[in-house]
Amino acid sequence: MNKRIMVAALVIVVTTASAGAQSKAWDILREIVLVPGVSGHEGPVSDFILGRLPADLKVQRDAMHNVWFTVGSGKPHILFVAHTDELGWIVDRITPGGRLRVKPGGGLLPQTVEARPVLVHAGRGPVAGIVAPRPGYDERRPNVEEPEAPFTTESFDIYLGVATEAEARALGVSEGDPVTAKKTVTDFAPGLMATRAVDDRAGCAALLDAALRLRPDAVKGKTVTFAWDVQEETGLFGATELAKTMKPDYVFAIDTFVSTDSPLESKRFAFLPVGKGAVIRAVDSSNVTPKTEIRKVMAIAKKRGIPVQVGNSRGGNDGSVFLPGGAVDIPLSWPGSYAHSLIEKIDRRDLEALTDLILAIISDWK
Amino acid sequence: MAVRATKTLGLIMALACLTAGMVRAADVKSLTKELFAVPSTTGNEDQLAAKIRGLLPKNVVVEEDGLGTIAVRFRGPEGPTLVLAALDGYGHMVSGITPDGYLTVDRPVAPPHARFDAYLLGQPVVVSTARSPVQGVVSQPALHLLTQERRKALVEGFSLENAFIDIGVRSEKEARAKGVEILDAVTCPPVLTELAGDQWAGPALGMKAVAAVLVDIAAAPAAEPPGGETVVAWAAQTKFAARGRGARPALGAARAKAKWQPRRTVIVDVVAAGKSDGFPFPGGGPVLIQAKDEPSSLRQALVKLAADTKISLQFLTVADSPLALPFAGPSSEVLTVALPVRFLNTPSEIVDLKDLQALRDLLAAFLAKGGGR
Repeated sequence: MNKRIMVAALVIVVTTASAGAQSKAWDILREIVLVPGVSGHEGPVSDFILGRLPADLKVQRDAMHNVWFTVGSGKPHILFVAHTDELGWIVDRITPGGRLRVKPGGGLLPQTVEARPVLVHAGRGPVAGIVAPRPGYDERRPNVEEPEAPFTTESFDIYLGVATEAEARALGVSEGDPVTAKKTVTDFAPGLMATRAVDDRAGCAALLDAALRLRPDAVKGKTVTFAWDVQEETGLFGATELAKTMKPDYVFAIDTFVSTDSPLESKRFAFLPVGKGAVIRAVDSSNVTPKTEIRKVMAIAKKRGIPVQVGNSRGGNDGSVFLPGGAVDIPLSWPGSYAHSLIEKIDRRDLEALTDLILAIISDWK
Repeated sequence: MAVRATKTLGLIMALACLTAGMVRAADVKSLTKELFAVPSTTGNEDQLAAKIRGLLPKNVVVEEDGLGTIAVRFRGPEGPTLVLAALDGYGHMVSGITPDGYLTVDRPVAPPHARFDAYLLGQPVVVSTARSPVQGVVSQPALHLLTQERRKALVEGFSLENAFIDIGVRSEKEARAKGVEILDAVTCPPVLTELAGDQWAGPALGMKAVAAVLVDIAAAPAAEPPGGETVVAWAAQTKFAARGRGARPALGAARAKAKWQPRRTVIVDVVAAGKSDGFPFPGGGPVLIQAKDEPSSLRQALVKLAADTKISLQFLTVADSPLALPFAGPSSEVLTVALPVRFLNTPSEIVDLKDLQALRDLLAAFLAKGGGR
């Protein structure tokens, strides 16, 4: 056996040392990304996760729909957390003409849903609607010098195909119902796709896949908690609730790295290409990861042959709320183009590298 | 006994008629769904034309005009009545491939309104290559990285200058390996949304629904009409304005006029409905459109047929559309019958299925009566 083959074989053995099976993260993602879960309405996503975790695990769920379980004992206590909520809207009121006015549930550009289909997740099931285009959208503006009225969440309404409030209510729609964009999955190629809610269902899928592949001996001598939390997009509320009782030494928040791998972005920073591996979010809007910890993660990844990139970008992460309690926050990610859009892009290789990295950290972290 | 038999026969016939009506209703809807799935923009109408050909009976001779228009002719003793609809919708096309594999975009024709291009921002699209459809997305800036200035330039001021289609490749060579070429049509994915109240929504749905109505009536068993020769045509390049002095007719319509020289023309089109003034009403029935509110034999025929078949009509008097323009003149008669469409020329055109069925039934009756003669 020549030297190169021996090295490759060793990498494969070491990589799979903490993993019990082949990664199913991509398949999980393609399912979980379609489950509705606007911030404050994550119940269906929590159900999805609970339904796939082994029955013998002692899984907990709180009133907010945060879901978590802990395995192992001793120090350090490592927490992995991904958020289940997605961007969307909440029905604020129904007009006399049967249209819906909504409140925002996180940051999406309203222009990208103008004249686009949405789903209202009503009590009796989903109801389709169309975000009405702005009034006079097809008319010549009388004075082009005057700035156009902005198209905002507060100004648009949703047409359901009915003409009265009573007809809208007869469809089962009511105030407080969550609304999501109708999701379209764009398959560029096998293992490369774009759709809504990759942020942070990819994190959820990676964590779920890692939980399913975790071998019991990997957690020997340490405590590991897997958590899927809620309401990240509207203010890290689920993580804040968890932080009241959980005091981990290390928290690895699993969430999008806002990459500038796009023709419209400056490559001055955050240029981590899609398809080139998992990401350590060294610096973001909520956290600066100590370089010593970045080096530790890099060393583990190198030992296992897991492709990892390091970068700084914008956006917050759930791990940051554990900082005041004494934790070190080391956010992990994948390079995500077009963050907070209907076309969030992800590569299967990055997701699987992320899952492998989670398992390697569990096994090797000291 | 005889009375009972007659009653039974009548009941069976009534049921048969009702069933036939239901079959027809299902037909125009399923035809609309079939055509909806096929992209067709000005200059890229070949796929839709091929689809329509495939849906017509095998024994029907399909005529062509060399620019993409197709038509079928039903013989009769008198000069032709033309029933004409568009084969093309508004859309975009590939105008270039950057060295790093992104596609740039242009339009084959002027947009229907100033906001039309902006609907591309951050959306999935389909590039129709000669080989197979290629899925892509139109890039948008990441929300976290947007400054006020960039938001103004890239979002509120979005234009084709900032439209780059990502098809998941890293080089021009890889893009070409997927079969992408300059001029390939770029359209929204054909995602149909079914709304309450028997309404459907989707991109270019109005045009496809109208084209489906003509397929349905041209393929109907009773399509060999008595009383006159009728040409049913789907015209290519109707969004392109013919050059020359004066009014700018739709090129596809001008060529149809020259080719078939109709004495009477029924334009089957779409009309914006449900706007702030309410009129015309979606669900209120087909809209008869004339440049002048004056009686004409075509109008009288259609109004009578509508009354006979209990179809509600709406009436609109506006200047001739580019589709109708070539046919207006002292020696010929033209009338537009339009399908009311809510949110016309947006990615979610909404069609009321009652209007669709009424339009189909009205035109079927028109053809069955020999073009209303």
